[in-house]
Amino acid sequence: MMKLLAAFLFLPLFPFSMVFNGLLSKLGNPTARFMLLLAWPQFGVFFLHAQPVPEFFIAWPLLSSGFYALRLLTVRDLGLWAGFLACSALSLIWIANPSDMPMVALWFSIPPALLFLLSGALERRFGAAYSGLYGGLAGSAPKLSGMLVMTLLAAIATPPFPGFFAMLGLLHRTGIAPAVLFIWLLWGWAAIRLMQGFLSGSKEPTPVNDVGRSGALLFACLLGVIVFASLYLKGGAP
Amino acid sequence: MTFSIDGLMPSCIVLVPFLSALLILLFSSGTKRQVARLSVGMSAITFFLSAASLILYMLDPQPRWLSSGGAWGSLYLDPLASVMAVAVAGISLVVHVYAVRYMAEEPGYARFYTLLDLMTGTILLMVAAGDLVTLLIAWQLIGVLLYFLLGHDLERPAAQRYAFWTFFTYRIGDLPLILAAALLYKAYGTFSLPVLFERIAESPDAYPVFGMPLPLAVGLLVALAAFARSAQFPLHTWLPYTMEGPTPVSALMHAGIVNAGGFIINRFAPVFIHAGSVLHLVFAVGLVTAVMGSILMLTQNDIKKSLGYSTMGQMGFMFVECGVGAFSLAIYHLIAHGLFKGTLFLGAGSMIGDARKQDGIPHDDVYTFVVERKPVTSRLPWMLAAVVTVVVPFLVLGLSRWLVGGNFVGQQGAIILLFFGWATGAQLLFATYRLRAENPWRMMIMIILSLIVVVAGYTLIEHAFDLFMYPDRTIREKIYAAASIPLSTFDPLVAVLTVTIVVGWLAAYYASASDKARSPDPSPARLALYSLISREFYAADVYAFFAQTVLALSRSMNVWSRWL
Repeated sequence: MMKLLAAFLFLPLFPFSMVFNGLLSKLGNPTARFMLLLAWPQFGVFFLHAQPVPEFFIAWPLLSSGFYALRLLTVRDLGLWAGFLACSALSLIWIANPSDMPMVALWFSIPPALLFLLSGALERRFGAAYSGLYGGLAGSAPKLSGMLVMTLLAAIATPPFPGFFAMLGLLHRTGIAPAVLFIWLLWGWAAIRLMQGFLSGSKEPTPVNDVGRSGALLFACLLGVIVFASLYLKGGAP
Repeated sequence: MTFSIDGLMPSCIVLVPFLSALLILLFSSGTKRQVARLSVGMSAITFFLSAASLILYMLDPQPRWLSSGGAWGSLYLDPLASVMAVAVAGISLVVHVYAVRYMAEEPGYARFYTLLDLMTGTILLMVAAGDLVTLLIAWQLIGVLLYFLLGHDLERPAAQRYAFWTFFTYRIGDLPLILAAALLYKAYGTFSLPVLFERIAESPDAYPVFGMPLPLAVGLLVALAAFARSAQFPLHTWLPYTMEGPTPVSALMHAGIVNAGGFIINRFAPVFIHAGSVLHLVFAVGLVTAVMGSILMLTQNDIKKSLGYSTMGQMGFMFVECGVGAFSLAIYHLIAHGLFKGTLFLGAGSMIGDARKQDGIPHDDVYTFVVERKPVTSRLPWMLAAVVTVVVPFLVLGLSRWLVGGNFVGQQGAIILLFFGWATGAQLLFATYRLRAENPWRMMIMIILSLIVVVAGYTLIEHAFDLFMYPDRTIREKIYAAASIPLSTFDPLVAVLTVTIVVGWLAAYYASASDKARSPDPSPARLALYSLISREFYAADVYAFFAQTVLALSRSMNVWSRWL
């Protein structure tokens, strides 16, 4: 029972998720948030792994995930957005195949964790990572915009990022598959709203310090490695 | 995995555009000319490879298969994929060439070509996908890439808004296809499309789902995905507004991307053999869309938006063809439509330029007689023209079908398509009647001769195309059989339609001859109908209301639970 309670906390289900969200808001440092998000769900998987999840229980993770997906639609702070997305995605681990849980947790936590890093980069340049506050980022900082776009696409489980294959794996239960797909739809809607707030609009009149070429290349390589690893593990690449 | 020229062909067709995109991305600091040269060159190579692949297939009609060796990641070039690949690569090449100068003054030139190449590669991946996962990846990526292409101009809010509409509708269409794939995999344990179709043929009713046979459920989900992708009513609102994107993207979308619905229905043809009632739904939705699209097209005063609604109407016709079982005809239609609609889009700009230069004076009888000094023109007697209009297309179509098909009377789908052909031919003759000419007899005869040539040519090509796409006669007959309805319903329907068409044309001729077509004082009902049409049936308003409601709910939830 204690293990199950711990799993509620580490694979955050509403209202236990407030602990996770509270911790994220306390941690101001993007790197600390990044590390926390990568480690947190793995503890949850550890506690949940040996626990059989009763069938009647499935509605809770779905409702919790849907709740955060719906909230995402009107969140404009990138850090908060990444935290809510993580809550929504990590709730879905409860319905994954037990053998897939560690990898699903990893694939669902990497993109929001990267968003924390990008949130830090935006805060350093503009004072806040707030969608719609400045806009025109695509014109003023194209490399940073590209990194943001790719990470957001990874976060909403766009192929060929690993989240896509993780989501496909969650559809093995026919009865709840429509609910999972609906949550997926909300993620996409929320991500585009967020992205448009940052990217579109007129260019900033004052010059913005874009990410360096080597930094952008490193980030792209990291995403490439993640994609290749996921393709290899899912049997799509030789 | 075996490597051979034949086997490598599918991968080369798909990989060349991706390679082009990668090179542009890596060397984006090059000049615009270098970027364009690279992209157009790669696009030309893709087209030639696709054409070579089609020719190879015609010489040796064996499907070509290339697998990554994993559970998925395979390519499959059968007649459908080969034909579609040539069409896609050809249209993409034209768009690439057109965009060289059109986009020269726009910011983000390299980004545009990168996205265009990625889009080409992804569409080719979709048409050549040999398994469900590859198909899903390509299907979903098309929506994402289209969003970025349509929203290329980042400073125009309208472009961003309508790009989002497109993205969201495409996401709605992605989800049923993903669910269909999940159901198929769970039931038959394979991602491979050919293996899957074999197993469905062996045991179609083995796995009931949601209280219905699996093929029926999968067919319904695939049809839903196709409806969203091809702008079928009521999921059509995004299509006419995509004109906010760059013209080359509009051309690519209307000529290629929007046709994906017809493609996916053809790809899942072995499923639809066991899902006849879904084909009836496809027919009904297609018919409503064709009518709605045509009505809305006629009421637009913006040429690009009018073309957008025209595409919607054409997509409706394409689904009608699928709904009656004429699957290969739908592919033929989408290729033909792609070519002419692409041409119209690319020519729309110069047409707008020409219109700006003209004086705008209507060239009516008074104008031609007084200003142009041309002799007075006349029309045929209306009753005679009406009889010609009703009888001639019917005879021409019937005879041409009889020449190639023989027993078309036994095929319900062929008869329904004859009705559409009849109505279209009659429309042509009616338009000819309304054109005043010095020698109306001569003009009518020339038009009828043209009609005979077009119809005979179209029928012959369509027949050959049908044999190429579905060489197995049994499959063709099974699809037609699945789309059929009971004769007790069909025969009265044919009778009612025939009477309606004949009476309708007689009434149209009478009204035109007696100048009663346009009443000076429109009735309130007419005005109400016009306002309904001018507001595009309020479809977008209804969606906006729902979206605002969901967003308001989201805001409230964030306010209530800000600390959770």
